[in-house]
Amino acid sequence: MRYICQVCGYVYDEEAEGVLFSDLPQSWTCPMCKAPLSMFAPVETEEKATIQEEPVSFDGDMQKLSAGALAALFSNLARGSEKQYMEKEAGLFRKIADYFTLVSANENPDSSELLSISNGNIEKGYPDAKAVAAKHGDRGALRACTWGEKVERIVKAVVEKYLSEGEDFLADTEVWVCSICGFVYVGNEPPAICPVCKVPDWKFERIV
Amino acid sequence: MKRIAVRNLRLCTKDCLCLYVCPNGATDTENSIIDTGKCIGCGVCADACPSGAISMVPVEYPPQQKKEDEVVAAMNRVVESKAREEKIARTIAENTDKPGLRKLMKAIERSARLSAEDVIREAGFMLPQSGNSMNLLSNLVENSPGKGFPSDAASKLLSSLKCNDGGFIGASTGKRKYRCLLCQAVFEVEEGEEPVCPMCGAKGKDLEIIG
Repeated sequence: MRYICQVCGYVYDEEAEGVLFSDLPQSWTCPMCKAPLSMFAPVETEEKATIQEEPVSFDGDMQKLSAGALAALFSNLARGSEKQYMEKEAGLFRKIADYFTLVSANENPDSSELLSISNGNIEKGYPDAKAVAAKHGDRGALRACTWGEKVERIVKAVVEKYLSEGEDFLADTEVWVCSICGFVYVGNEPPAICPVCKVPDWKFERIV
Repeated sequence: MKRIAVRNLRLCTKDCLCLYVCPNGATDTENSIIDTGKCIGCGVCADACPSGAISMVPVEYPPQQKKEDEVVAAMNRVVESKAREEKIARTIAENTDKPGLRKLMKAIERSARLSAEDVIREAGFMLPQSGNSMNLLSNLVENSPGKGFPSDAASKLLSSLKCNDGGFIGASTGKRKYRCLLCQAVFEVEEGEEPVCPMCGAKGKDLEIIG
């Protein structure tokens, strides 16, 4: 369940916080505006975007891209709609993206497999793609791959660090992701500017 | 080119000059977001704002940069690889009981999606209203990729988006399916014809396009 502060609009998400709203002490106040518990009202449950109850399937032979790639394609178009203030279209694109996320092919949940993909992207995937972009003078594609390659290096670094240090690595710290380029940062506060794409700290998402 | 005013809430200092100059009351709203339905695009609010918090953004966009086939193929390969990474990270996050690992994998899942979104944009899918995007939607409506595909969402997008580059050929069925929101009747009309509910005579906003 989610509860909204009727003064400032702060949303308390039980799932993300890990503590039921009803278990909060009476002294608890809104972290944003200090309004008391009593100012919070339950958020009407929104219709779940995904369609988990219904059987879903994906016929991969019909499409040029895999379901996972189509998920990114459509969530990107949702963001493209948001930027143009087309909220209704953004919601519809997100619904399509959610379907493709749901039907994307199963992968082996193995962090060494993750590392091997990451290494492949750093050694071959991104350099090859950058060479093609440069050959055609496509600076947009070159820019996306330049950012992507840097992000890939940090992904590899944090996975390797986790594999050597285990849970201690993340015991008392937050994990942040730059909402523009995907840069991953481990620390209590996000960096003042994103080291990869240079956006300010408020563009970072805290992972919960 | 038609434009509309948009307020950047991070810059707005509520000096309210925009309220004084707007001829249509579009800038005076309870949620601080300029009412796009009222904005006539004159731009006086943007000129008057002492904080530089209002910009005039286009309503119509020019065609996207043309992408070479070889670039598209190279970008698609990167996207496929990031999609696999995302799925592995998601599966690990869903199956572990270690809080640190779960958080890290959720971060990598998110990061992989963001990288893939950025790269697929450069493979010719930057604008939702491009011929590329609309042809893909149309193709998915005609050849459903599988059970549970939200075909209604794709059809609604095809009817609400206006193609900006002339690249959208359109659905070949020649018919559009509607549901009447008043009496729930479902009916079809030829493309281009005004839909009118055959049961109760409802039109316009009382009809919902479903295919």
